[in-house]
Amino acid sequence: MSLEPQELDDLTSKIGRKPTSTELQIVAAEWSEHCSYKSSKKHLKMLPMKGPLVISEKGYDSGVLDIGDGYVITAHIESHNHPSAVEPYGGAATGVGGVIRDILSAGTRPIAIFDGLRFGDIEKDLQARWLFKNAVTGIADYGNCLGIPTIGGEVEFDECYTNYALVDVAAIGFGKKSSLIKNHAKKGDIVVLLGGSTGRDGIGGSQFASDSLESENRSAVQIPDPFIEKLIIEAILEARNQKLIHAMKDLGGGGLSCAVSETADALSIGIEMDVNKVHTRESDMNPDEIMVSESQERMLIVTNTEKLKKLEEICKKFRISCSVIGHVTFDNMMHVKQGSKTCANLPTDVVANAKLLDRPSKKPAYLENIEKEKKLKPISDYSKMMMKFLAAPNIASKIWVYGQYDHEVGIRTVVKPGKDASVLRLDNGKFLSAKIDGNPKHCYINPREGAIGCFEEACRNVVCTGAKPIGMLDHLQFGNPEDPEIFWTFLESLKGITDFAKYFEIPCVGGKVSLYNETPTGPIKPTPIIGILGLIDKAPLFSHKIDAGDTIVIIGDTKDEMGGSEYFEYIHKFVGGKCPVVNFAESKSHMNTVLDVIGKGLVKAAHDCSKGGLAVAVSELCMTYQIGCNVSLEKIPGPKLDVDRTLFSETHSRYLLVVDKKNLQKLDGLLKKSKVSYKMIGTFGGENIRLNKENKPIIDLRVDKAQKTWFNSLRELVVHG
Amino acid sequence: MKVGVIVFPGSNCDRDMYHVLTDVFNLDAQYFWHEKGLPKNIDAVILPGGFSYGDRLRSGAIAAHSPIINDVRKMADKGIPILGVCNGFQILVEAGLLPGALLKNTSLNFMCGWTNLIVENNKTPFTNKLKLNQKIPIPIANGEGRYYVDNDTLKKLKKNNQIVFRYEEVINGSTDRIAGVCNEDGNVVGMMPHPERAAESAINPIDNKPSSLIFESLIKTIGVKN
Amino acid sequence: MLAVFNVHVTIENKPGISDPEGETILNDLVLKGGDSSISKIKTAKMLKFTIKEKDKKSAQAKVQKICDELRIYNPMVSKVTIDVFDAS
Repeated sequence: MSLEPQELDDLTSKIGRKPTSTELQIVAAEWSEHCSYKSSKKHLKMLPMKGPLVISEKGYDSGVLDIGDGYVITAHIESHNHPSAVEPYGGAATGVGGVIRDILSAGTRPIAIFDGLRFGDIEKDLQARWLFKNAVTGIADYGNCLGIPTIGGEVEFDECYTNYALVDVAAIGFGKKSSLIKNHAKKGDIVVLLGGSTGRDGIGGSQFASDSLESENRSAVQIPDPFIEKLIIEAILEARNQKLIHAMKDLGGGGLSCAVSETADALSIGIEMDVNKVHTRESDMNPDEIMVSESQERMLIVTNTEKLKKLEEICKKFRISCSVIGHVTFDNMMHVKQGSKTCANLPTDVVANAKLLDRPSKKPAYLENIEKEKKLKPISDYSKMMMKFLAAPNIASKIWVYGQYDHEVGIRTVVKPGKDASVLRLDNGKFLSAKIDGNPKHCYINPREGAIGCFEEACRNVVCTGAKPIGMLDHLQFGNPEDPEIFWTFLESLKGITDFAKYFEIPCVGGKVSLYNETPTGPIKPTPIIGILGLIDKAPLFSHKIDAGDTIVIIGDTKDEMGGSEYFEYIHKFVGGKCPVVNFAESKSHMNTVLDVIGKGLVKAAHDCSKGGLAVAVSELCMTYQIGCNVSLEKIPGPKLDVDRTLFSETHSRYLLVVDKKNLQKLDGLLKKSKVSYKMIGTFGGENIRLNKENKPIIDLRVDKAQKTWFNSLRELVVHG
Repeated sequence: MKVGVIVFPGSNCDRDMYHVLTDVFNLDAQYFWHEKGLPKNIDAVILPGGFSYGDRLRSGAIAAHSPIINDVRKMADKGIPILGVCNGFQILVEAGLLPGALLKNTSLNFMCGWTNLIVENNKTPFTNKLKLNQKIPIPIANGEGRYYVDNDTLKKLKKNNQIVFRYEEVINGSTDRIAGVCNEDGNVVGMMPHPERAAESAINPIDNKPSSLIFESLIKTIGVKN
Repeated sequence: MLAVFNVHVTIENKPGISDPEGETILNDLVLKGGDSSISKIKTAKMLKFTIKEKDKKSAQAKVQKICDELRIYNPMVSKVTIDVFDAS
């Protein structure tokens, strides 16, 4: 752990003396990219963070939304990329643990987990397969043990993640508005460390996450203990009910250094603490190690001496340790002692606020010719090609993954995983729909439009359940920000997300930036992830059975936007072309229209068109509901395109609606009035998925065979290779 | 009429079970922490699912040593209805209140999904309103759910009518597709699937009536008037 | 001449890396059971190989090589101990 030379000068001049070794460790942890956001913070301010439902309080690690009737939901997203790349089981598991404690910090009970996973090409790469398999098991073992359902996410494979892993975890909490922890501290309050013991595991983790991954620098492994985490959750919620908590923060990156300095800075107080009071796993740990250890499953709590006894009783009941490590002062200093000896004594605002950088940016050279397409090899048999496509790791059903996650516990899961978005019932009779989406292939070709596309796709997914988007989480994952070309892609994505959020008035309620995501062969593709929370006041769109004779209606034009499509990259091994662009006005009118017709009960099922294009979206409906279809490609609205483009273009703002014949006329009337581009493109029935041109099938697949391939191919690949 | 829901460190379906007992079936339910005793006026005991002690050593192995298990044993002897669901079933097995063992699923993975049960014994306090061979759509969620007994015990179970539920299909390698068993007296029942996750129409995509009958059987047994 | 050896590979967390399962078994089962003479329990996984090799040394080397190359343990977290026994 070390500071850059100019940072050391900066620190020395701010405190007017040479820092001690403990001070250096504390500041190096807190000023790391991971904790300080020094490269990104200046720019993140552009995101809209306020809205009528947003509740802002000091010191929250998660976003809070008021959903009425005295209830709130909280949400947060985190990643654990570097640790997962070296120890996927523990890295992914502790990633879940960290975000759960952020939800808990606000005083809400975690009720759902989402995970976004990205690895190299698992068809060819054994290491990628090992990482994938173990990351899934890690998330399953942790989330399942906590009894928090993992109800959604995404999995993607791309060569840009070779020898690396992106593990993003989002969590949602729920609680009463009156139970939210209003972080505050009074004179005489004490500081308590609660949970697992502090050990040498994970020392230097935040620094590690802020460096590119080099093979010798892989020492920061954290061991997950979901059982302790579960006990912490129950203990904290019981302490919350008894109003024993004045302020609370989870220990994550940077360990005690960050938790203590950030708590003090947020509350404008000082904290004096003694490292000898910290319950450690090993007896010979020095103050520096104790201050930066990233041992998992620990919480920092500010309370007072009267309440301490009750807090200790709760901890005893749940067999977790708690130690009084210090007390609140009013000198705005972070004073770390070992017994009577001072190890560090720093102004908290100096520690908690690294000097923000304004990094240079430059449009990457590779984008110059990226939109040029090559001539594609003609496809001789689309049915055969389609079968291969349905088995492609990025297209295949992810049931092998979500089947290992307990997605039912908590008995809130009304719409189960495997559909566009999962839906949870809430105690006030409303429903929450949520989804996370990313698309590095689009973002590589156009970082701005790609990021907007992820945003719109996540919105489409929750809209398909009948939910109105009310809040957004963003997670911006890029390579080394010191490279101006990479920093340019970061800024472009951020600007795109900001523009979309402002236009749709969807506030950003939480987010995270992860930089220095570099593999031995270079930077990852720009990988912003967007999470959307949607609220349903009455009833969600339950998936009904699809019957023969039901009509397929498409909303939205299909355009020539093949760049970064799964079809180009998987079937033709071609990276390039023009990536889909969202038209904001069109997008908004489509969303409103779909919500309107769902609300009026005119739709049996709704499904968004995304990865793999229209051909995959239609097939997914058929395979999920086990029924065939006949679709006429010449009816697809939009400019005249060749067969490949009609079937596989990934144009945004498109929805497939399944409509009962008896509702067709009414729906037709409403759609006409709304002025969206739409068409009845076919009907369900029979045992084959048929996509026809001039009455001749271009694609003709038996539903049962297609479904078997789609369902099983990912498991086959992981288990049998 | 009071139903006790036992909570161990790491139980995580206790709140779901409590919700179904109280909010859905209007029963008077009460939580009991594993270190406490059970009062005498309890009419039924439920051990809910979860990961007691993080599933360490073997699922249920450490919780089976909890102080409260002594009281559960006494109640079992008195003929009071006792139901263990998922981890609760594993704890009853580890405590010796039910025969057999629960091993890792043949897939070696945690499995969460919907399956069908077949009722094999409708004489227990938790199945007496169900029909023999009735199908129950219900979710499973476990990593160590493969029920195992040796041949001699299996014969005994069959002879004493101790097999309460079977899976309709082979899903995890359980001996004879067994999903739930009871003790010789029939008052202690253990099952791997989760009836509390299937008793409400809002969260059951197929049919919530059969799982409701598990709770209605209990109501009939302990004599609460509807 | 090749002989048959039994090779026991013990995989456990490296010193200094926590072992939550061992700690739970110690604290919640063994110590609660009243036996205070036990101070530590560590969990480990054991694989038993049966191998034909010319001697103990090469049997050990061969198994070590297999464990390293096939990532039978993750060297980030775990260490292996390899014990070789005559099969007879």
